[in-house]
Amino acid sequence: MIGLMHYLVVGAILFVLGVLGIFLNRKNVIIILMSVELILLAVNINLVAFSVYLGDLVGQIFAMFVLTVAAGEAAIGLAILVIYFRGRGTIAVDDINRMKG
Amino acid sequence: MSYAESLSLTLSEVILAAGALVLLLVAGWAGDKATRLISWIAVVLLAVAGLALLGPAGAAFGGQYQADSFAAFAKVLIYFAAGASILIAPRFFQLADGSHMGLRAEYPILILLACVGMGMMVSAGDLLSLYVGLELNSLAAYVLASFMRSDQRSAEAGLKYFVLGALASGILLYGISLVYGFTGTTAFDGIAKAYGDGVSMGELFGLVFVFAGLAFKVSAVPFHMWTPDVYEGAPTPVTTFFASAPKVAALCMAIRVAVVAMGPAAHQWQQIVIFAALASTILGGVAAINQTNIKRLLAYSSINNVGFALIGLAAGTQQGIAAVLTYLAVYVVMTIGSFVCVLQMRDAEGRPIEAISALAGLSRSRPGLSAAFAIFMFSLAGIPPLFGFWPKFLVFDAAVAVGLLPLAAVGIATSVIGAFYYIKIVKIIYFDEPGEEVFAANNNVVETGLMLLTALAVSPIGYLAIPVLGQLSDRAAGSLF
Amino acid sequence: MIQAFAFYLFATMLIASAVLVISARNPVHSVLWLILGFFNAAGLMLLLGAEFIAMLLVIVYVGAVAVLFLFVVMMLDIDFAELRAGFVRYLPFGLLLAMVLAVEMIFAVGAWKAGSLEMAQRLVPIPSDVPNIEAIGDLLYTRYLYVFEGAGLVLLVALIGAIVLTHRARGGIRPQNISEQVKRRPQDATRNIDQPVGQGVEL
Repeated sequence: MIGLMHYLVVGAILFVLGVLGIFLNRKNVIIILMSVELILLAVNINLVAFSVYLGDLVGQIFAMFVLTVAAGEAAIGLAILVIYFRGRGTIAVDDINRMKG
Repeated sequence: MSYAESLSLTLSEVILAAGALVLLLVAGWAGDKATRLISWIAVVLLAVAGLALLGPAGAAFGGQYQADSFAAFAKVLIYFAAGASILIAPRFFQLADGSHMGLRAEYPILILLACVGMGMMVSAGDLLSLYVGLELNSLAAYVLASFMRSDQRSAEAGLKYFVLGALASGILLYGISLVYGFTGTTAFDGIAKAYGDGVSMGELFGLVFVFAGLAFKVSAVPFHMWTPDVYEGAPTPVTTFFASAPKVAALCMAIRVAVVAMGPAAHQWQQIVIFAALASTILGGVAAINQTNIKRLLAYSSINNVGFALIGLAAGTQQGIAAVLTYLAVYVVMTIGSFVCVLQMRDAEGRPIEAISALAGLSRSRPGLSAAFAIFMFSLAGIPPLFGFWPKFLVFDAAVAVGLLPLAAVGIATSVIGAFYYIKIVKIIYFDEPGEEVFAANNNVVETGLMLLTALAVSPIGYLAIPVLGQLSDRAAGSLF
Repeated sequence: MIQAFAFYLFATMLIASAVLVISARNPVHSVLWLILGFFNAAGLMLLLGAEFIAMLLVIVYVGAVAVLFLFVVMMLDIDFAELRAGFVRYLPFGLLLAMVLAVEMIFAVGAWKAGSLEMAQRLVPIPSDVPNIEAIGDLLYTRYLYVFEGAGLVLLVALIGAIVLTHRARGGIRPQNISEQVKRRPQDATRNIDQPVGQGVEL
C-alpha cells in the first residue's frame, strides 16, 4: 500500500499551489476563488488520508463538511462577484481606485 | 446523554435558529414592509437567547458543544453587539440608499444566523463544530458586507472580505487537518492530551497553521491587509457589527483553542501570539495617524485594540484571560458608541459623510455629539479617568505578572502613540474652525439612547461596574482552566 | 504494483491540472482543468478506500461547484488579458516563496520527523464489517447531529445570501399567476349564443 507520506506530500503541494495562485492572480477574482477550492481540496486529501491511516472515521466526516461548506462558499463568492461586476464592469480587485489600501 | 438534554444545553442557539427561520417566513410573506417589525422581534430574540444563557452548564453532543461561563460571557457581548447593529440599521439604509428603498428584511435574519454561528464558535469543544460555526458566521458576514448591492464600495468590501476570509479558512483548515492527523482526534481534550506528551514536528506545524488562520480571523497584523478597506466600504451598521461581534467571537474562539486544546504547547504558541500582539499594536497605532476617513481610522483602531487583547492572551494565565474578557467587554461598548457617533455624520439629505475634516468645529453646532465623540476617543486612547484605561491596565498587569515586561512596555509605548490620533480628532472637533458642512440634526430616539448608554458606560461612572465585571470575567476565565 | 501505478498517475495528473488552473490564460480553461483535478482527486480517494467522499467530490464539486464557476465565467463579459497584468512580475518571487513553503511543509509532514500517529485517541474507529457509506451515515445522524444541523444552516445562509445579492425585480415581465388561472371559470371566458343565419357575429 502507498504510504501516508505520499498523500500528505500531494496535499502539501496542492496547498502551496493554491496559495501561489492567490498570490499570482491578485487581480483575477475567479482564479482566486478556484485557488481557494484547490486549498480546500488539499485539506480534504489530508483529512481522508489521515482518516484511513488512523482507522478513524472522523476525518471522512470532516471532509464531508468541508465539501458542504465549500459549495456554499463558492455560491456566495460568485454572487458577490456578479454584483461587483454589475457595478464596475470588471472583476479586477487590485486596482483600488475607490479605496486606498 | 440524551438528545433532549443536549438540546436544552444549546437552548440559546436553538432559540436564535428557530426564530430566524420563523422570521424568514414572515419576511417572505410580508415583504420588506415588515423590516422594522422583524428587526424588533430579532432584538427581542437576542435578549431571550441571552436570558437562556443562565441555564445549566455542561458539555452537550459528546463534548462538541461546551456550555460554560466563558461561552456565556462571550455570547452576552455578541448578542449585545448584534442587537445594537440591528437597531441602528433601518434608518441608515433608508437615508443612505438614494432611492429610499429602506432596509431589506434579510438583514436582521442574517445577523441572527451569524449569531448562531458565533455561538457555535465560542462554545466549540471540537474542531469540527468550531469550523462549521466559523463558516456559518463568515458566510453571513460576506453577504452583510456587500448588502448595499447597488453601492460599488459595498460590493468591493464584500469581495475583499470574502477573499480574505476564504483564504483564512483554508489556512486554518489545513492546520486543523494536520492537528487531526498527528493527534488522532478533533476533540479539544484529546488534542490537549496529545500535545501534553511532547510536541512532534507534525503537531507543531498544525499549531502554526491553526494560529495563522486564527490571526487572520481576528485581523491581527500581519494578516490585516484589506481590513481597513472592508471597514470603509461596508455600510456603517455592518461595520459596527464587524468591529464588535465577530471580533469577540474570533478572539474567544482563539482563546479556547489556545488554552483548552493547545494549553500544553503554550510555550510554542506564545511566541506567535506575542509577535502578532506587538505587530498589531504598533501598526494599528502608526498607520492610523494619516487617515482622513473616520471609518478607516476606526479600522486601524480595532487592529490596535486586538493587539492589546492579544497581550493578555500571550500571558496565558487565568488572570490574562480574565483581562482579555474585560477588555473585550469595554471594547465592544466603546466601538458601538463610536460607530453610532459616526452614524450621526450626515448631510442635510441624510447621505453619510466620512471625512474626518468634516468634524471641524463640531462642538459649536452639536455640543452633545461632540462630548460623546470626545468621551469615546479619550476612552479608546486609554486616558485614565475614562473606563477605557482600566482593561488596558489589567492586560499589562497580567503580562507583567508572568514576566513579559518588554511586551507590556512596548504596549504602553504604542498606546501613547495611539493616543495621538485619538486626541487629534478631539482637537479637530473642539478647536478647529467650522467648515461649511453642517450635519443634519439627530431626532432618532434609538441612536440617541444607544449613544447615551454607551457614553455613560465608558465614562468614569463605568468604574462602578468593576467589581461585577471583574468577578464575572474571572469566573468565565476560570471555567477554561 | 497496480496501486502504486494508479497513485502516481492520479497524483501527477492532479498536480499538473492544479498548476494549469492557476496559470491558464483563459479562465474557462482554468475551470476545465479544475474539473480534471477533481476527478483525479476522487481517484485518490477511491484508492484510499473512502468511496463516499470520492463520489461526493464528483457530484458536489464537478456537478455543482465547477458548473457554477463555468456559468459565471461565461456570463460575465470580462477582458481577461487585462487581468493577467502583474502575473509575470510576481512569478519569480512567488515561485521562490512557493518552493520554500513546499519544501518546508514536505519536511514537516515527512513521516521520519513528524512523529507517529497517535492511535489511542481515536474517537470513532472505522468498523470493518460495515461498508463506508453505511458507517458514515450511522455517524452523521447520531454523533454528529449537531454539526449536521449547523451545516444545514450554512447552506441556508448561502441560499439567502445568493438570492439577496443577485435577485432583481424586473419590470415588464409577465409571470404566470396560477391562482388566477385556476379560479377562471368557463362562464368568464365563453358565451353561448343562438346565432341567426346571415348576420355577422358580434364579438
